[in-house]
Amino acid sequence: MSRTAFGRPLLPWLLILPSFALALFIICYPVYNIVFQSVHEVSRFGLIKGFCGLDNFRKVFADPIFIASLWRTLWWTLGVVGGTVLVSVPVALILHLDFYGRGVARTIVMLPWSVSLTMTAIVWRWAFNDEYGMVNVTLQRLGFIDAPIQWLATSNWAFPVEILVGILVSVPFTVTIFLGGLSSVPGDIYEAARIDGASTWQQFRRLTLPLLRPFINMAIVLNVIYVFNSFPIIWVMTQGGPSNGTHILVTYLYEKGFRLGKPGEAAAISLVMLAMLLCFTALYLKIQPKAKDGEGA
Amino acid sequence: MRINTSKFRLSLICWLVLSPLVVIILFPFAVMFLTAVKPAEEVFVYPARWLPSVFRWSNFADMWDATKFGVALKNSLYVSLSSTLLAIAVSIPAAYAMARFPFRGKGFYRQFLLVTQMLSPILLVIGLFRLAAMIHWGEGNLVDKHISVIVAYAAFNIAFAVWMMSSYFATIPKDLEESAWLEGCGRAKAVWKVFLPLAVPAMTVTAIFTFINAWNEFAVVYTLIRSDANKTLTVQITDLVAGRYTVEWHQVMAATLLATLPVSVLFAWLQRYLVKGLALGAVK
Repeated sequence: MSRTAFGRPLLPWLLILPSFALALFIICYPVYNIVFQSVHEVSRFGLIKGFCGLDNFRKVFADPIFIASLWRTLWWTLGVVGGTVLVSVPVALILHLDFYGRGVARTIVMLPWSVSLTMTAIVWRWAFNDEYGMVNVTLQRLGFIDAPIQWLATSNWAFPVEILVGILVSVPFTVTIFLGGLSSVPGDIYEAARIDGASTWQQFRRLTLPLLRPFINMAIVLNVIYVFNSFPIIWVMTQGGPSNGTHILVTYLYEKGFRLGKPGEAAAISLVMLAMLLCFTALYLKIQPKAKDGEGA
Repeated sequence: MRINTSKFRLSLICWLVLSPLVVIILFPFAVMFLTAVKPAEEVFVYPARWLPSVFRWSNFADMWDATKFGVALKNSLYVSLSSTLLAIAVSIPAAYAMARFPFRGKGFYRQFLLVTQMLSPILLVIGLFRLAAMIHWGEGNLVDKHISVIVAYAAFNIAFAVWMMSSYFATIPKDLEESAWLEGCGRAKAVWKVFLPLAVPAMTVTAIFTFINAWNEFAVVYTLIRSDANKTLTVQITDLVAGRYTVEWHQVMAATLLATLPVSVLFAWLQRYLVKGLALGAVK
């Protein structure tokens, strides 16, 4: 029995079933429900009033705040993911070197990951307080600015600040992926490169970067998904304000659904976001080179 | 000797390059701690100062009562522990299957898990809320019940748990189980006697990270939980800040510090396992 179980196609599926069923249930019903709500007129309390076709979508696309949030979401994703990768590559390279205090340095770099995004956002909201916050105090003490800056009261400042916080919290995860990638690179190829007289920069360009490539792609894809869906930072720091100037799609979706009492339109926004994510994933799968063993992640 | 001085110089350069990032990372922790121990009357003084005149430790006790910290802490523990147990319980067999069997549909399941990662809770929050409102439970429905949050967390953590554990399980040599079969041990018994004891560390580490995920989650619990008695820490503390004219920042910072520190310490202790597990999962 024990040997033949290996060849039995049913057993692995039985083992997978519980997790599959749970995930399917929690994900499929809401997806179905969102599609359903998006084509119906829904009251503030969730009562279905009647089929309305694509009315919700029409309303959403005619809404200038939605269009502005859509563009801002692109900037947000691009800014946070781009910034994160740019910071994380050198940080990972350094943390891969053998130096005194590396363990401590790694732990410090990982720290933001352990803190809830919500808590991080609360602390930064206080730190960026215009009159009493420590950011203004420190910058003034160091002589960088003369008068306090109203960081969160204008969207021109608030949104870049939120992007910076977004980068800060995404770095640990990204560095983790890169470190994993670097540790899978065998050390002796560097030995060989050194013997062949390759400079450090050449080693980086010709060896490290190509070997790190799949991990960079991986990090970009996962980060795009996470950042695109990231809710707490903006919601806690500015709630999409001032005057809707920092809304991205997720925060606007939440506001529509639970503050403004328009679940139908919120569902439509969900679906638009879903479509964007699917397009992105499809694009990624298309440009990604096929994994050799046919089971690349 | 020469090697040591060159390593010393390298260390100096490394720390120098890392220092801006290190400062920015530690900055919020300093803000949290120094605000939390400031006497209330010093928090809103202009120009503000970094250091408090005295360390007012009693802020923590005051905060505990004023913010109903104890209730929220209990809720956070209950929700995070239960969802972790549920997620791990369903993910162990799946991870074992992914690590040990070649089978049709493996690629499909992997893609499915990727999709569940893509459909984050916040995207589905409108539908999740309807789902909870639709299911009858006791006197009412599942809105404002912990069980709805627990099941949702468990479901959204499956991808991570399966990914982490299967990559660790794959590193446990198959020969050990196979030799147990040769000695007349059934497959199930071999798993129980040989495989599981070796897999305990991987399961523990995964469980702890799942716990931290649940502990830190915001959107689902913010949507599904309505009453103060059922709120978890993230929501309870956010409510102290959001939409208020006067915020007792020293209490808020004391609360964030207490809610954050234990998890940060746990995380700092375990982060190297994460590096290994995610890396294995990423390429395998």
